Amino acid sequence: MLEIKNIHKSFGKNEILKGVDLKIEKGDVVVILGPSGSGKTTLLRCINFLEQADEGQAIFGDMVVNLKSATRKQIHQIRQKTAFVFQNYNLFNNKTAIENVTEGLIIGRKVPKAEAYKIGQQALEKVGLSDKINSYPSQLSGGQQQRVGIARAIALNPDIILFDEPTSALDPELVGEVLTVMKTIAKEGTTMLVVTHEMSFAKDVANKVIFMDGGVIVEEDAPEEIFSRPKEERTQQFLKRVIPEDYIYNI
Amino acid sequence: MSVGLDYQFLVKTFFIALSGVPTALIITIVSLLIALPLGFLLALSRINRIPVISQLARVYVSFVRGTPVIVQIFIIFTSVPLLLKPIFEEYHVKTNIYDINPIWYAFIVFSLNTTAILIEVFRSAISTVSKGQLEAAYSVGLNNVQAFRRIIIPQTLVVALPNICTATVNLIKATSLGYALSLKEINLRAQVAANVGYNYIEAYIDIFLVYLLLCSLVEYLFKLYEKRVRKYKAVDA
Repeated sequence: MLEIKNIHKSFGKNEILKGVDLKIEKGDVVVILGPSGSGKTTLLRCINFLEQADEGQAIFGDMVVNLKSATRKQIHQIRQKTAFVFQNYNLFNNKTAIENVTEGLIIGRKVPKAEAYKIGQQALEKVGLSDKINSYPSQLSGGQQQRVGIARAIALNPDIILFDEPTSALDPELVGEVLTVMKTIAKEGTTMLVVTHEMSFAKDVANKVIFMDGGVIVEEDAPEEIFSRPKEERTQQFLKRVIPEDYIYNI
Repeated sequence: MSVGLDYQFLVKTFFIALSGVPTALIITIVSLLIALPLGFLLALSRINRIPVISQLARVYVSFVRGTPVIVQIFIIFTSVPLLLKPIFEEYHVKTNIYDINPIWYAFIVFSLNTTAILIEVFRSAISTVSKGQLEAAYSVGLNNVQAFRRIIIPQTLVVALPNICTATVNLIKATSLGYALSLKEINLRAQVAANVGYNYIEAYIDIFLVYLLLCSLVEYLFKLYEKRVRKYKAVDA
């Protein structure tokens, strides 16, 4: 459904992505792991054109887009097919929860207000925030804000949702509620590309795990394989550091 | 109480001064209507470092800030007719340049002046709205115009409002310099009335009161508006 080919991106002299290829099928939950600075977030941002790649191609269904020289219209089309969940939520501060969720529908997609409101309500219900419909972001906790962020993404009914470290800015206590929501929507068959440091999520929910380092994909495989039998040395090192030994054998 | 004030004159002149309020307000409103969008756009050009425009805006701001308004008034008042004269002749415009209503000069001077002030006001206000807001707007499929109109400008405005209020009040007060253009605003009307019987103290008191009332009212309206638009800001402030 989505294929990325040979994506390159540098910031000044600093080469962040050195030719990454990625293939995602409908219904996939792909988790990208890797140390910070490995280019995970940049990869995600390039897919949604929040950064402009220096080279590369995206094949979206029957649409082929050059990531470097995409036209305004193509960018708009790709953004219509994708949704983005940000690390620091980025909810519209001047809008209530429901307005945050319906903004893209009403303004971006010209969905009639009443219909958008209904979709928005359902999305907020799905993330367990029916009672916070009219709250402003400043009145919500971090976890609640991120759940609104997820509701905003699913309301758009995109082909794929891109998650950029959705729990990294949260208090440890609040991580659970966000992961639960993500698991729910993953089970419903939503295609997801997730950058995260939550190993448990990768293990339990993903059907493919990608390990990135230094701007390239080092290894990609099913989670069982990556976590119990990593092939590359770099992957082994990384996993050893983030997961204590006994934890691995406890599953 | 024998301060020697002519109370009758004081009251009568108060209303004469008051009759200059519409002139002051028209100049203020026209200047703001021009300066608000222009200031916002130029502030954006400064933030995004748009070549040429950004540098011009910077030089422009320092020129306006570095000179007294009264001098700006004299320069516009004397140079604009000289610049317009050949253009008028070229296109056979019948109007005598020196018959133009001085309020047009006031519009030019105060719009230019307020624009410079608002560039700086917006520049700091825009930078308080995080880049993520714009990215989020793009990610849900808004285009540039929609993102600014629905997300960025409303948030910028809330931050900028106290400074816009100050700029507006300063602008109202600065229109008193319109007397130099022989503009019949608050100041000039009261002083002309005072000329007859040398009741200057009374006239000044009236001018003082009219500006005080006008500016207090404007400030109050801004406060009300601010309260309404910043409702999303929860408990802080």
